Amino acid sequence: MKRRTVFQITALVLVIIMFTGACSSEAPIDTKSKNADKINPNKLVDAPFEGWVEGLPKIQAPEGFDWKQFKGVQINVISENTPPSSALAANIEKFEKVTGIKVNIEQSDLGTVVEKVGLDFNAKSAKYHVIYADPYQILAKYSEHFVDLNLFNKEPTMPHIPGGLEDFVPTQLEVLGYMGNKEKLLALPYDNPTMVLAYRKDVFEKYKDLFMKEKGYDWTPRPGMTWDQYYDIAKWINQKVKEGVITEVKYGTGHQAKQYDSLMCDFSNILAANGGDYFGRKDIGTIGTIDPGKSAMTSKQALESVKFYNQLLKEAAPGSTSWDWNGLAEAFAAGEIAMAPEWHEFSAMFENKEKSKVAGKVGWSLLPKGKVRSANIFGGTGIGINKYASDDEKKAAWLFLVWATSPQSQYMILKSDLGGSTPTRSSVYELPDVKKGMEPGTKESEEMPNLLSMKSVLKAWEAENAYMRPKIPQWPQIDTYVFTELSKMIAGKQSPEQTVKAITEMVDEATGN
Amino acid sequence: MRLDIKVNAYRKPLETAGTLVHGRRKKWSTEFWMLLPSMILLAVISIFPFLYMIYASFMDYSLSFDEPTFNGMKNWEKVLTNDTFWASWGRTAVYALCGLSLEMLIGVGMALLIYVLPKARNLILTLWMIPLFVAPVVVGLLGRFLLNSTYGLYAWLFRLIGVETEILGNVSTALPAIILMDVWEWTPLITMIVFAGLQSLPEEVLEAAEVDGAGYVRRLIHVIFPLISRTILLALLIRMMDILRFVDTIKITTEGGPADSTKVIGYHLMEVAFRFQDFGSAAALGLSMLVVTIFLGQQFVRFMRKGEE
Repeated sequence: MKRRTVFQITALVLVIIMFTGACSSEAPIDTKSKNADKINPNKLVDAPFEGWVEGLPKIQAPEGFDWKQFKGVQINVISENTPPSSALAANIEKFEKVTGIKVNIEQSDLGTVVEKVGLDFNAKSAKYHVIYADPYQILAKYSEHFVDLNLFNKEPTMPHIPGGLEDFVPTQLEVLGYMGNKEKLLALPYDNPTMVLAYRKDVFEKYKDLFMKEKGYDWTPRPGMTWDQYYDIAKWINQKVKEGVITEVKYGTGHQAKQYDSLMCDFSNILAANGGDYFGRKDIGTIGTIDPGKSAMTSKQALESVKFYNQLLKEAAPGSTSWDWNGLAEAFAAGEIAMAPEWHEFSAMFENKEKSKVAGKVGWSLLPKGKVRSANIFGGTGIGINKYASDDEKKAAWLFLVWATSPQSQYMILKSDLGGSTPTRSSVYELPDVKKGMEPGTKESEEMPNLLSMKSVLKAWEAENAYMRPKIPQWPQIDTYVFTELSKMIAGKQSPEQTVKAITEMVDEATGN
Repeated sequence: MRLDIKVNAYRKPLETAGTLVHGRRKKWSTEFWMLLPSMILLAVISIFPFLYMIYASFMDYSLSFDEPTFNGMKNWEKVLTNDTFWASWGRTAVYALCGLSLEMLIGVGMALLIYVLPKARNLILTLWMIPLFVAPVVVGLLGRFLLNSTYGLYAWLFRLIGVETEILGNVSTALPAIILMDVWEWTPLITMIVFAGLQSLPEEVLEAAEVDGAGYVRRLIHVIFPLISRTILLALLIRMMDILRFVDTIKITTEGGPADSTKVIGYHLMEVAFRFQDFGSAAALGLSMLVVTIFLGQQFVRFMRKGEE
């Protein structure tokens, strides 16, 4: 056969393959256990994990399920470098021993995770099988690329979510697990940091009477305290530090106002507390949508909030403009600041005597109230499965998800020295030692220092106090516009009016409104 | 005569590939086949991505949506009418001007100093080179730690004299601080290149100038600088190209802030490409950077050729 003919035939075959590939619909996922025919789905048996904690739902599988059926399969987990991932990585042999599955956990900063996941999905490849599905930067944008976990959870021959979906905090499950509607379950709640107010108990106790004498009200941070009072207190502390009266801290308040995601989070607490938001739709922060409508940053509440934030930052520690949440936590732990809105999971760092000068001196409260309510931004994330993985990898990843998000593992993470994170399961908070750990000075609170902030956090999770930012595909862009324009305002480059106008214009352009 | 015939018979097929060789038709020369693997490699890693970038710059290429669609000049319009684009170029120009001036001044000065050292020349040169071996990300981290207002060395030193500083969070000091980090890291490269140029100077010319009674300064101005001017230009060109795609340290230290004061064009590109995942606009932005780079490169080459003439 002539070379030219061979070339023409090859080209034709390639075109046909590409055409049929493009036209063919997605193959259904095989979710069945490998030994499905030997399984009795009507009887559940405890998984062979050791160290069960009484009082928590156990991981179970149908009778006859072979936990080692995916032995040799390797799954790659990509996650932000957050405490749960560190704790799981440190204890991963517990999962590997039972299943024979090799798990590689890769941890990076969130920006890098978003980039890598985006590239993986774009290439329709599965370099990462288990994805840290940040609801705002990953799930909202790439929901089509995740496996519907209901397929596994409802499969009779596979293990199910221990304790059921109802053991997750309902709002958190909505935010972290779904996108646009509740038809497909795309991820399971994995971590759930929330912003509350950290303050120096020692300072507030010592100067309480002096403040009361001069200002006429009790300044102790508590639910009901307003943002105006917060500003007033910060200003008063700064004044007393200058006069040499207060020596324990250098500034009344500190904020995470670096030109970064942290600035948007910090500001959102005030915006939502005043009844404002970035968009008008109400369910936008929970279920999410691809059509958010026009920007609501033209509202009176938005302008008031921007003005107030600008004024507040003038009283904040000067380092605030270069601090993200880590920088702020370091400054607080160094004893420089009297109060700061901060992610509650820094409690473990503040109580660590080796890293902190304020161990034992930190109190937590709901964030102050604005014109309407107290708004505490929620920053949790779920984990999901990449739909481009092979069926075996998907099933292995499902077993990992079941284990990693189980109440037993969540409790393990809470107690881990490397983790110290916050459980996503309601059942964990019912354990007596977890309840005791929420009280300062107890042995349990020393073992699980994040619990010291949990009383406030549990209040913050109540619907009227929680704030969820918009869950829309354009959010990474809008987030950048918000924090960049706010940063310009704080630096004195533009007025609050110009700031809301700029944000509105850019947001509407990004959403096509 | 016989020899001539043989040579011609051997040469002919090489010069006219595709004609008769030893009585049969040869389509491609041996050289072509030997070069083919590297040509394929070049096409895969360089030419194809470049062409694809041009293609992407005319497409609505965002990962949040389905297949890319043709959108004409929209990406270009979006990029070129964006204030951030021009402001980023402005900052890049300031960055290049200040950074390069300092790097050239210190780098060339240091090379001249090391060159005249009677002893320990290699040891000092090696020590001077250390920042070059540090990854830019690590330089950013070092800078962030040193300039941290809570526990940083500089904040502590300023506090000793009663001044509270916030270098990376201040619009007027953030960019200068990053320029200085860059100068610290890359000045040794200039020193190394210029030092290599100095070592290749013809001894006779220098000796002749000395015999003629020229002092060091006169020899420097009239002999050494003219002889190493092309080397200096080369160093300048290399650093200029580098500065245009500078991102790492900014990403680690300031994320382009405060108030965009450290957002140079490379960072803006990275933001559009990876944060916004708007690859169409990012491709247009990248091509605009390429045009500037080629233009600057040409100007440098032209300048160097002028020197030769």
